[in-house]
Amino acid sequence: MGAWTTMDEQRTEATDLPNPLGQDADALRISGLTLAYRTPDNRLNEVVRGVDLTLRRGEILGLVGESGCGKSTTALAAIGFRSADIRVLGGEALLGADDLLSMPREALRAIWGKRVAFVAQQAGLALNASLPIGRLLADPIQKHLGLTGEVLRRYQIELLRRVEIRDPEQALAKFVFQFSGGQQQRLAIAIALSCRPEILVLDEPTTGLDATTQAHISALLVTLVREGGVSVIYVSHDLALLHDIADRIAVMYAGEIVEIGDADDIVTAPRHPYTRALMMAAPSIRTPGMVAGIPGRPPLSTVRGGCGFAPRCRYVLDACTRQDVALLARGGHPVRCLRATELPPGAPGLAPLESVPVGDVVLKVSDLVCQYSKWMTPTVRGVSLEVRHGETIGIIGESGSGKSTFLRGIAGLLPPTSGRVEFRGKPLAGSVADRHRAERRDLQLIFQNPDSSLNPRQTVGAILKRPIRLFRGRLDHAQEHALLERLLDDVQLPRAVLHRYPAELSGGQKQRIAIARAFAADPAVLLCDEITSALDVSVQASILEILVRLSHERGVATIFVSHDLAVVRMLAATTLVMRNGALVEAGPTAELFRSPHHDYTRTLLAAVHDLPRGALPQP
Amino acid sequence: MSAIDEIGTVAETPVPGGQQQRLWTSLTASTSGTVGLTLSVLMLAIIVLGPFLAPYSPTQIGLGMPNDAPSWSHVFGTDELGRDILSRFLSGGGSVLLVPLLAVTLATLVGGGLGVLGGYASVQSRLRWLDQLISSVFDLTLALPPLLLALVLIAGFGTSHMTMIFAVALIFAPRTGRILRGATQAVVTSDYITAAQARGEGLPYILVRELLPNIATTVIAEFTLRMTWAVIFVAALSFLGLGAQPPSSDWGLMVAQARSFITVSPLAVLAPATGIAVLSVSLNLVADALSQHLDPASRRKGATV
Repeated sequence: MGAWTTMDEQRTEATDLPNPLGQDADALRISGLTLAYRTPDNRLNEVVRGVDLTLRRGEILGLVGESGCGKSTTALAAIGFRSADIRVLGGEALLGADDLLSMPREALRAIWGKRVAFVAQQAGLALNASLPIGRLLADPIQKHLGLTGEVLRRYQIELLRRVEIRDPEQALAKFVFQFSGGQQQRLAIAIALSCRPEILVLDEPTTGLDATTQAHISALLVTLVREGGVSVIYVSHDLALLHDIADRIAVMYAGEIVEIGDADDIVTAPRHPYTRALMMAAPSIRTPGMVAGIPGRPPLSTVRGGCGFAPRCRYVLDACTRQDVALLARGGHPVRCLRATELPPGAPGLAPLESVPVGDVVLKVSDLVCQYSKWMTPTVRGVSLEVRHGETIGIIGESGSGKSTFLRGIAGLLPPTSGRVEFRGKPLAGSVADRHRAERRDLQLIFQNPDSSLNPRQTVGAILKRPIRLFRGRLDHAQEHALLERLLDDVQLPRAVLHRYPAELSGGQKQRIAIARAFAADPAVLLCDEITSALDVSVQASILEILVRLSHERGVATIFVSHDLAVVRMLAATTLVMRNGALVEAGPTAELFRSPHHDYTRTLLAAVHDLPRGALPQP
Repeated sequence: MSAIDEIGTVAETPVPGGQQQRLWTSLTASTSGTVGLTLSVLMLAIIVLGPFLAPYSPTQIGLGMPNDAPSWSHVFGTDELGRDILSRFLSGGGSVLLVPLLAVTLATLVGGGLGVLGGYASVQSRLRWLDQLISSVFDLTLALPPLLLALVLIAGFGTSHMTMIFAVALIFAPRTGRILRGATQAVVTSDYITAAQARGEGLPYILVRELLPNIATTVIAEFTLRMTWAVIFVAALSFLGLGAQPPSSDWGLMVAQARSFITVSPLAVLAPATGIAVLSVSLNLVADALSQHLDPASRRKGATV
């Protein structure tokens, strides 16, 4: 077994004692970590409870869970950092003999940057934009290593070379905004590793980056930390990514660790229903299937007197809600579940995909060229596609490949410079303003970010009524209300949301409203622009379930733009690969993903992390 | 399944108590907001009800001895022509409030309207010329010194309330316009505007129904702040003799006329000067409290997310 232990075993297990001979085997020992947020009305809201974690020397430990499960809070508190509104209620985090939780801020300053380093999610925001890279990089090196002058410069250049920044000499004089998102993250990593820390905490370091960039950076990270013998806590919501790079994975839920073990064990033999649910929510490329969302939302604080996951658990028993469940090994890796031994063995599988009957061509786009200005090179350079009744077409590519602009061109929001859009054989006007009402009804857009696509000053009712009034002809009050209620039922929201403002809803609920608004118009074609990219994997799964069900029921044709290949694999019968505004490759999705012809498609596919899948769960 | 699970989380959030109620509670939440609101209401009462409460006619000369000290018959004393200062003070606030109010309303409607239109046009490739045109007009008007502009207009069209209103509106319109153009640009790139365009909504609908509610907070704050400046500016015009003319009891004019006798009859200057100052400061306090309320960072606290 290992350094993870349950509370009872902890006192007796020898590996937990500092090794008297030679170096300590553990880099960081966290025990009983309990944290609370101070609410605006000055109450304490416990968000992390009794977390015991041992970070072994030289290992990568993954922390995984949905947003709000306490993983980032735990990782940051473990190195002594906490925001002003957080209180440590108990526990310790031992770095050697020093407890980082009880240490005064002044003493921590000597440790941070030197022995312990941190990389934030968005390097572009985490790095000071008004200082050149050279200065940002020099600060920790001067302070902790005392290098100056030419030695410092050579050290900096070597560091930048190690994180694969081109022209390191020039880069030192540049500013953060002059680098791409991926490069910024490389710089942040260089700064974090500059003083050869013992421990590195990474908080979603590649989230928000393109899949290929993400793959490059995580590969680089693994190489660097392995070479340097750094111990890493890697926080991510992406179980598949962690499986590929981490040695061990701890799954967190409601501020507690619910399962911890070797990365392979966690993924091939998940023992907690939550881990299984996370896996079933993640779409797969190798073994495509229908994802399943996790109903409900994670609680906002820790749960006492019962299992926190019980309300969302498909295996729940009465006993689960009556007592706290301990993290116990129970003949495998430790898991916090009463029914751990009764769960089906192995990784859960995904339900098979339904095949959909496909009808006539609804929308035909030929040689579409779109440009934002006459003087700029076109963003979309001659892309064609055909989509049939009931069919879903996926468009994949990195950011900047022109896939979203292509959708805008079809929708008439960016009138194309040349090319044709035909709907049921009739050409559509280039600009949406010149299209007939019925034509506007037939093409409905769903946007990436529901925060931006729903007017914050309108109630959900007002938002949904507008397309009904524009596109559904004359309806009396009762008919309209019946239609509204049916739309909400379709997207599985309670009727009470009609009187709510978007800010009162969660991200997933908002995106459902956006879907309901599109269906309110009774469209023939849905144009989906990265509609799940801003959502948690569990929420993404429920959104996809809804989208698939509704478009099958209504026979709607869908063009689904995404940078997430696994999602496209699940949804689309046909896939288009775009790069630099042009079509690289197109074909039936299964075939295209199995044997891509183009190198670019191969690169995209190689960047995907996938989970092993097993048989379907028996409810 | 998820519908049932999510009902609980949705139903627990309180029904929003309407924009008005939240506005009122947050205005009175801070001391400065309460003080500003109280003083504003007090000044409004004086200005509106004052003419009816005045014991004498504000323009009747020889009511008492010139520059008489306060007494029971003349509580604030009399001015250099023997007029009752209290009566003049009570009936002289009208134009100090009304002229700025009308002028700022006009400036907000015209300047703000153009600013919103320009802000919207600035991100539409086909309408960019319109924004450039509007912005140039703003810049041109902004280049003229305010007082000089007022002077020229008043010299050309004579001193009347109408001229004053137009002069002040003309001075403030490009300033308000610029602020609202910026506020518009901040929200116009939101996808809900794009969604409205994709539905084929007309320009008036997009501007009034989709966009305006999202910048309403800025409009209100800008209006109130502009009012405080307008009060002082109009009073200054009257003081310079460019506004109200004798024998009017306008506060700015009162200060101008009685200032030579400030040592003999100080209340003839102090009363209207205080009136102007309090009106301006109280409006400013309200504007401050408003913008605090409208600032999304401070509003988040109350929001249930």
